Amino acid sequence: MRIYAFEKRVRKEAFLYIFLFMLMTVLTAEVPALPQSVEAAPPPVIAKAESCMGCHASNDSVMQFSNKETMSVFVDQKEFSKTAHAALLCTDCHRRVFLGTHPGRVIESKKAFTKEASDGCRNCHRDDQLRKKATHAAIIDRPDAPLCAECHGGHRVLRINEWKSSLSGKDYCLMCHRQVIDTTLASGEKLSLRIDPANLASSVHNKHDCSDCHTEYTRESHPIKMFASSREHSISVAGICRKCHEDKAALVKGSTHYNLSFQVGETLVRQGNPKAPVCTDCHGFHTVGPKTTYEMMSGVPCRKCHEDIFRIYAKSVHGRAKEKGEHRAPLCASCHFAHEVNFTAMTDKIKGACLGCHKGIEDIHNKWLPNAELHLSAVACAACHVPAAEKGIALQLIDQDTGKPFTREQILQLLGKTSEELTELLDAHGEGLTSYELFYIVRQLNRKETGAKVTFLGRMDIMKYSDAHQLSLKNIAIRECESCHSKESGFLKRVTLAVLRTDGGMDRYRAQPDAVSSVFMTLSSKQFYLLGGTRFALLDWAGMFVVLCGILVPVLHITARVLTAPLRRSPKAEDLHKGDKS
Amino acid sequence: MKRVFLHPLTVRIWHWINTACFLVLIFTGLQLRYSEMPNLTKFKTAVDVHNLFGFLLIADFLLWLGFYAITGKIRIYVPLDLKKFLTGAIRQARYYGYGLFRGEKNPHHATADDKFNPLQQSAYFMIMLILMPVQIITGILLWDIRRFAGWISLLGGLRVVDIAHVAVFFFLSAFLFVHVYLTTLGRTPLEHIKAMFTGYEEVDENGK
Repeated sequence: MRIYAFEKRVRKEAFLYIFLFMLMTVLTAEVPALPQSVEAAPPPVIAKAESCMGCHASNDSVMQFSNKETMSVFVDQKEFSKTAHAALLCTDCHRRVFLGTHPGRVIESKKAFTKEASDGCRNCHRDDQLRKKATHAAIIDRPDAPLCAECHGGHRVLRINEWKSSLSGKDYCLMCHRQVIDTTLASGEKLSLRIDPANLASSVHNKHDCSDCHTEYTRESHPIKMFASSREHSISVAGICRKCHEDKAALVKGSTHYNLSFQVGETLVRQGNPKAPVCTDCHGFHTVGPKTTYEMMSGVPCRKCHEDIFRIYAKSVHGRAKEKGEHRAPLCASCHFAHEVNFTAMTDKIKGACLGCHKGIEDIHNKWLPNAELHLSAVACAACHVPAAEKGIALQLIDQDTGKPFTREQILQLLGKTSEELTELLDAHGEGLTSYELFYIVRQLNRKETGAKVTFLGRMDIMKYSDAHQLSLKNIAIRECESCHSKESGFLKRVTLAVLRTDGGMDRYRAQPDAVSSVFMTLSSKQFYLLGGTRFALLDWAGMFVVLCGILVPVLHITARVLTAPLRRSPKAEDLHKGDKS
Repeated sequence: MKRVFLHPLTVRIWHWINTACFLVLIFTGLQLRYSEMPNLTKFKTAVDVHNLFGFLLIADFLLWLGFYAITGKIRIYVPLDLKKFLTGAIRQARYYGYGLFRGEKNPHHATADDKFNPLQQSAYFMIMLILMPVQIITGILLWDIRRFAGWISLLGGLRVVDIAHVAVFFFLSAFLFVHVYLTTLGRTPLEHIKAMFTGYEEVDENGK
């Protein structure tokens, strides 16, 4: 509305000027011509400025660009009069502003307008003159060089130092950092030092001053930091985040990401491992959004590294529900957690995540699944709910009393072996561990001097963890008991020994399929048994022999009775024959 | 010939329920253990039926135990006189392995208080007082391995319990053939079986 009012006023004045011009034409027809020099003189500056200021003195007026940006067109005449340009006419700089087309000409963007205005500066401040100053010389030929007005201001044109002294907070820093500036790191990478004020304004940190995070930077101090690589820079910035977000940092400490990046990883990262994410890899630097940003399909930071998994997830029952706008459908962090990101394989954590949303799942399974609670503890959700996934048995070494799995480090300690020796032991001949080798490991771990009570626990799990992300609709989940409870089950064809690492991950070593149904497993696996699946052949043969004996007794006895029938036909024998009893 | 009352009603009820349970448990047990072999029924049905008849068998066993314990007749299962038992067992074994073929009479004469010959007595003693309790206990443990995890661990682990249950299963299955065959060795092939319905069996006037 104000723009219309502004135009109305300008049109009014335009009519006034046209009227005055016509009046002057009529009058001058009767008046002798003025000397030529007087005719050529520019109109009085004050008069011109005043005609512009008729509108531009109002700080209510705004200009709208075609990209919808808006800008105040207020000119502080008092401030302007103090500048070096006080003597200039408005049109000396704004050369494309003409009464006939102004206002009304639509400019594309604020940037385009700033460029147009800054081009006005170059009418007087020529390139050769600018090059004399090192700061200008350094940027003048760059296509992305900041525009004059971006550093020196529009009407209140000042030297940088003069500007900075009048600015406070973020504006002081953004004076330079909103420009396209970067630095080249030792690695050759370019690190952008530009901060987009718009992004900063929309971030959750928009109320903070720069120095709240960048504490060592003040008006008086601007240390030049050198980083070997952008990775090292990110790690350094993560340290800044931790100052306020200690709670999140504590959660991260137990995560896979932390172990990759800090624990082992402080070295790993320095060695060039770019895979370990730190705060900024997920949240960005100055664009940290609210929590909801990361709870949308489009905003999931995990995709940056785990796009392959994300694609699988997107096709799952959860992914499709999320895509349709079902806000309760889980995303990555719903199961893996946002900061304490961890391996979920065979941990209770992932099951906890499933059961966290799927309340009463035990009751639902209990309706049709015998020993539902047992199944839920021994079978990974994905083993049934991802019908297409390749499945197998993962044997874990657990404490017989507490049920807790032993980590690789604990196993090494109990065995008194190095990690390499353990790997050698678990992968000795490349044909998979035999039942005796598995038994031998348990026997070694349970040596008298260790005092440990180790046994195998077997769990039904999927072989590729990526498969766990393609959870399907429950009506196509596996419900046939025979899928597992059979000697022919696919589970029994893939047996691995899963050794838990300290970081929560699993090292898997192949075992021979018949290892789980061996007699040695009876001795080494006190808590794992799969009805119909883990039966061992010796017992079957012995059983068959016993039953065969049971059948043979009557068969042989009847045969003997038939063969000896003539003996009993004698009169003496017939007399004796009465009264047989079982 | 005279009729002797051998099997009280409670015993007859117990016996035939026991028979039904044995048959159902054997077939469902086979299906559970060898699910990839003869597909008689679905695994889940086999589980449900096995559990149901397992508990029915337990109830039936308790009926048997209660009856024999309350009436004090349980002693017919227990060989109290070892010397008599041993000589009787040898005599009975000789009869089945030799005398029967020659047409000799059965040396044992059943009465209500002395129903079993020494071989039967030892076999049933082992079955009813050792194997059945083992089978019932292991069956209960395997029915809910999570609930009874502590007991299972105490007995040496899940597989040990499973092996015990399966071994008894094989033995009882084998015994079933022998048991049914021996019932046909009466005066007529169906005499003993009839007696288990009527309770009465015909014997010679002099008890033989």
